[in-house]
Amino acid sequence: MSDITSSAPTRPSKKLFASLSLRDAGTLIGLIIIMAVFAMLVPGFLSERNLINILQQSSINACIALGMTLVIISGGIDLSVGPTAAIAAVLTAALLVAGYPVPLAIAAGLGIGMVCGLVNGVLVAYVGLQPFIVTLGTLSTYRAIALIYTGGNPVLGVPASFRSLFNGSVAGIPNSVVIVAVVAVIAWIVLKKTPIGEYLLAVGGNEEASYVAGVPIALTKITAYVISGLLAALASLILIGRLGAAEPILGNLWELDAIAAAAIGGASLMGGKGSIVGTILGAIILGAMRNGLTLMNVQAFYQLLATGLIILVAMMIDRLTRGRG
Amino acid sequence: MTARLRFDGITKTFPGVKALTDVSFEIAPGEIHALLGENGAGKSTLLRILSGVGKPTSGEFYVDGELASFKKPESARLAGIAMIHQELQQVPNLTVAQNMFLGHQIKTAGGVLVNRREQEKRAAEALAMIDPSIDPSAPIKTLKVAQRQIVEIARALLDKAKIIAMDEPTSSLTPAEFERLATIIEKLSGLGVAIIYVSHKMDEVFRICHRGTVMRDGKVVGSVDLKDTAEADVIAMMVGRELQHEEHNSFVKEDVRVEVRDLSSAVTHVRGVSFTVRRGEVLGIAGLVGSGRTELLRLLAGVDTIASGTVHIDGSVLKLTTPRSAIAAGIGLLPEERKREGIIPGRSVSVNMALPSFGKFSKGGLVRHRAVSTSANELLKRVNLRPFQIDRAIRLFSGGNQQKAIIARWLAAGSEILLFDEPTRGIDVGAKSEIYHLIEQLAAEGKSIIVVSSELPEVIRLSDRVLVMRNGRIAAELDRDQLSEQTIVAHAVGDAGLKTKSPQQEPSHV
Repeated sequence: MSDITSSAPTRPSKKLFASLSLRDAGTLIGLIIIMAVFAMLVPGFLSERNLINILQQSSINACIALGMTLVIISGGIDLSVGPTAAIAAVLTAALLVAGYPVPLAIAAGLGIGMVCGLVNGVLVAYVGLQPFIVTLGTLSTYRAIALIYTGGNPVLGVPASFRSLFNGSVAGIPNSVVIVAVVAVIAWIVLKKTPIGEYLLAVGGNEEASYVAGVPIALTKITAYVISGLLAALASLILIGRLGAAEPILGNLWELDAIAAAAIGGASLMGGKGSIVGTILGAIILGAMRNGLTLMNVQAFYQLLATGLIILVAMMIDRLTRGRG
Repeated sequence: MTARLRFDGITKTFPGVKALTDVSFEIAPGEIHALLGENGAGKSTLLRILSGVGKPTSGEFYVDGELASFKKPESARLAGIAMIHQELQQVPNLTVAQNMFLGHQIKTAGGVLVNRREQEKRAAEALAMIDPSIDPSAPIKTLKVAQRQIVEIARALLDKAKIIAMDEPTSSLTPAEFERLATIIEKLSGLGVAIIYVSHKMDEVFRICHRGTVMRDGKVVGSVDLKDTAEADVIAMMVGRELQHEEHNSFVKEDVRVEVRDLSSAVTHVRGVSFTVRRGEVLGIAGLVGSGRTELLRLLAGVDTIASGTVHIDGSVLKLTTPRSAIAAGIGLLPEERKREGIIPGRSVSVNMALPSFGKFSKGGLVRHRAVSTSANELLKRVNLRPFQIDRAIRLFSGGNQQKAIIARWLAAGSEILLFDEPTRGIDVGAKSEIYHLIEQLAAEGKSIIVVSSELPEVIRLSDRVLVMRNGRIAAELDRDQLSEQTIVAHAVGDAGLKTKSPQQEPSHV
């Protein structure tokens, strides 16, 4: 991905704005309404500090959801992101605790995430299994590997040098937010500006026609899963930076939040459709909901209920607005 | 005698569009009535109203003299109206009988369980009237399209249909299967059922229909007795002008561009095919459905796997493994099933055009979208895309314009060898002649073109030379001066030596 990074346009924010589609505008309006409601109910909800909090709390889900969006656009799904994150987390933490240099540990963590994605991609693209089944299988497999590797115990004692990297802040903005923002810009460029982005949309839109038109189907699908694995690993690094420890059971049910963020943001589980901006907004909607409800001291049970309802409502609005013509 | 069906001043408006204006005509019991017109003429809208899917804005229609007002498709069915859609609406995994009773199953005495035995008995009775060879307990997916169509007709008989509307019923039938369908339709007509027959194929319409109503721009141009009307006059009514009969132009150059030697497929029955195509040549491939024409094109386009044999381009052997390798060698396929194999429906026309060429349109790993739109503007203008909106989703365009976009796709990719599979299937008469002109222009530029078509006039109009395929092999090669429908059909069914005129024999295996 390094060459893509280096050739990134210098003013992506302006282009991001220009690309705000009608669907993204809808998601943005949804976010604004939710923010407005909480602003009325919770004093200090719109304070600078709380807004930064919301972004930070959304960052891990947003990171996972970006990879998920690319996979969903390609017509697939990645249920294995949580366990992939767990493997990356325990490996990175173990290397750090064993005294290996921080860059090496990070590279190993991200690398193992990509390997997990590669396995998913190969099973989908070459063996021809259905993405849901493949990643359902690796969901258990990867989790088991993380548990076996650690004997079920958390890896404690992640050094401060690593933690400051992922848990620090620049000019008041948490590093995790900066990292995910950069990832989002790169993902946006990949989707909108590179051939692989066009291929993802084409393969998800009509795989047979894409094949006949010479699109490299296998490469496209594998790329999506590898990116998803990489971003799951990155998300886990953010988490162990925050916690200072890596648990093999970390990342449980992350896939559901990520799918929800992507779907709220306009990704179609049928493939061929999805938006990076939308997914980021979707992740922030979910993060803001949780933050607001927690500040209101709403019990966890009701938070779950609210999250479920917001997903259903978002999808119904999506359906109704697309139903015309 | 009361008309079986009478439309009286049907008008249908959608926001901003008047789809039907004051449509009035009638059909007698037992009449086979052709509904004619180009795509967008309003035929589908009228059939939707007839089948209770849509309601007219004003006007009414009468079945056997009784005012019909359908709130939903079910009421149209109960009133004796059946639709046979072009894309058959059946559930592949269910049996013939289950499909025939879908939505209104026969229950056992208790009213809870489905009485399969009774369903199969009644299905068999209905099938016996038209084709007793179909087994009511066979899964639909094991039947050929022609048989599945017959199942739909039998289903209509079960519903005691008085009016059966058929939308392009023969688009995937062989000539022999068409003859069988024609016999069934005539039988239905004898029973007093009125048939509405929608087809672009004029020869079929004139062969089986009694009368026809021509529509254009949502209005009835006229209803005519087909026995005393010439085909050219009907087409003139449809398009609103005379289509001049066009002559074949030849642009064949000396040098051979494609040479295929002893090619066999690893996945289909195509065996030992050899031929050449020159620069500027249009090679036609004729044959029955299932004779291996489409499969041959798929081999050349790298979609199907080659078992043995070689393909040479400009004298050197081509390693054909995937569509990508074919495209890199300058081969472009325009598939028959555009929706399934041609287009990415939700993406814009320009993206659909650029799809194989994104590598070419990129610099430093990034797509130069400006270069894409420059190219799209030029090429889509050249193929005369209408409406000229290159950023509009391709699914919103007519079949003819989607085909033009796929032609532009291969122009953008710089393809020199174009493989057209049924280039004008489902495309209306006006767009058809545009596609013919484009193919001719491409040949004039020196491109090599292969055209597979079931429409013999089309093959004869376009081709410099024709290969006739039968059972996966080339049965004959005909030069331009040998081309006639009779010769091609004779070679296609395999009795060229016998000089029979009947194309009713089934190929020995398909």
